[in-house]
Amino acid sequence: MSEADTAQRAPSVGAGHRQWTGFAFVAPATLLFLVFILGPFIAAIVLSFFSWDMLTASKFNGLGNFRQMFGDSLLYKALANTFIFALASVVTHLVGGFLLALGVNRLTGRALSYFVRTSLFFPFVISWAAVALLWKYVLDPTFGVGTYYLGQLGISTPAWFTDPNWALPAIIAIDWWHTIGFTFVIMLAGLQTVPTELIEAARSDGCNGWQVLWNVTIPLMSPTILFAGVITFIGAFQIFDPVQIITPNGGPDNSTITIVMYLYQKGFQAFQVGYASAVSLLVFVIMAAVTALQFWVGKRWVHET
Amino acid sequence: MRAKRPSAGRLLLGVVLLAVGLIMLAPLVWLIVESLTGEGDAFGIPPNWIPKPFTVQNFRDIDGLIPFWRMALNSLIVATISTVGSVLVSVLAAYGFSRLPFRGREKLFALMLAALMVPVQMTVIPVFVLMRNLQLIDTLQALWLPALINVFAIFFFRQYFNTIPKELDEAARIDGAGHLWILFRLIMPLAGPAVAAMSILSFEASWNNYFGPLIFISSQEKMTLPIGLVTLQAGQGGSSVVVFAAITAVVVPVLVVFLVFQRAFVASITSSGIRG
Repeated sequence: MSEADTAQRAPSVGAGHRQWTGFAFVAPATLLFLVFILGPFIAAIVLSFFSWDMLTASKFNGLGNFRQMFGDSLLYKALANTFIFALASVVTHLVGGFLLALGVNRLTGRALSYFVRTSLFFPFVISWAAVALLWKYVLDPTFGVGTYYLGQLGISTPAWFTDPNWALPAIIAIDWWHTIGFTFVIMLAGLQTVPTELIEAARSDGCNGWQVLWNVTIPLMSPTILFAGVITFIGAFQIFDPVQIITPNGGPDNSTITIVMYLYQKGFQAFQVGYASAVSLLVFVIMAAVTALQFWVGKRWVHET
Repeated sequence: MRAKRPSAGRLLLGVVLLAVGLIMLAPLVWLIVESLTGEGDAFGIPPNWIPKPFTVQNFRDIDGLIPFWRMALNSLIVATISTVGSVLVSVLAAYGFSRLPFRGREKLFALMLAALMVPVQMTVIPVFVLMRNLQLIDTLQALWLPALINVFAIFFFRQYFNTIPKELDEAARIDGAGHLWILFRLIMPLAGPAVAAMSILSFEASWNNYFGPLIFISSQEKMTLPIGLVTLQAGQGGSSVVVFAAITAVVVPVLVVFLVFQRAFVASITSSGIRG
């Protein structure tokens, strides 16, 4: 690609004209990019050194916001909750998505396969607002359908959203229901790229099912698994809608407050714009670190295709 | 692969997956059934699986509590403008990045790609201040304007355009075609799957967006459906069956559209890896 580009970039007749044509095509995107992404990004960094309530004049605060972050126990709580949520989300999505894909891939009945694929994917296309409201009722302690059938199985359920030990796990479960379809679809697509000849060959060499899975399928799937893991982590790290809708004040004992929810509270409810910007910078740094880690893991561990 | 005779293991697998599918669907079935049940009989224990007595009154009651149709229209306006606008802006830029050399092109592209790492929560405060200065708070513009720039879509289209042979547009150039003609008449038809994938993803993202309207919208007349649902539930005096009817009214059309375009939906995800 770069070679072709260099060749094209060589001065030719009408190069000046072409130059402007190129600018014209990218101009709308570039303008919007500056106004809605790059500009606000820089503004957020600048704001993190100020204190401002959006009404009165802003005051330079030096490193004050960052110093405040170090002593902010609610911020630690939000970070801890977010990491717990994200890690639980990654593990349950990867294991569940992989096993479901493996199972569906082996199904021979077409109708059954269609039914399972569709019902796994259905919740993913629904908005978080609808999902969160629905599940508030599904897990309702008195008339919830989930509560009733868990009770029938002999499992006594806590009052999920008012119990500090169970509010976050409940939201992890709801998130699984909502987004497992995505992980499943990615895993299934990855699984279908594993060449059947390799599996056949391993079989005829006397490998049993587990050995094939462990030594052939999983290594060949590793790029897909890594990708699904990173995407799930990034999505889970920014979780906001369901926690905000189900537990608007951060849940019992702030047991469900997440980092983005904290950001929202500081920025749009307490109007501590400078401090919220400093917290958002921290979110950005964590995201960037995860992305860097992805590259590093990808280079060291993942099977090259 | 192996013998076709269904083994016990295979049968067990089928039963387990059938059960998983049914459990996944159960909350949605329950939702729809309760929304069609008369108020006095809804939410019974054990749970109802057939709406008895059957009624659509709950759906009629929604509009007395929230301006449902206004909200649906707002959702549709915002999602349509976001989708058409962002696809248009993105294909123009992608064509520039793929086909038209200009100074600083690679640097600009790299800068945009790097910005993919910036989470929306970081830019939202300055964007809010900007919207306030432009007096766009509590308007639909505040919802679709920022959605017009979609760096991932630019990247995705550029990748796709790069797979379309440049000899094609050179031939068209010789015949006297301009760049806009080449883009919209030659490349876009060839890039159909990419355009479909990005359109589905941005429409869905906009349609389901909760964070944006939560921040930019305050009056009910300007709300979109997701925020409208939450407002309804948060105590506008509606009973739970009416909330269920409203959720059903939001969810069922989406599920029907999904069933019709299922292949395209799933392809939009596997080709882009976007989780929404």
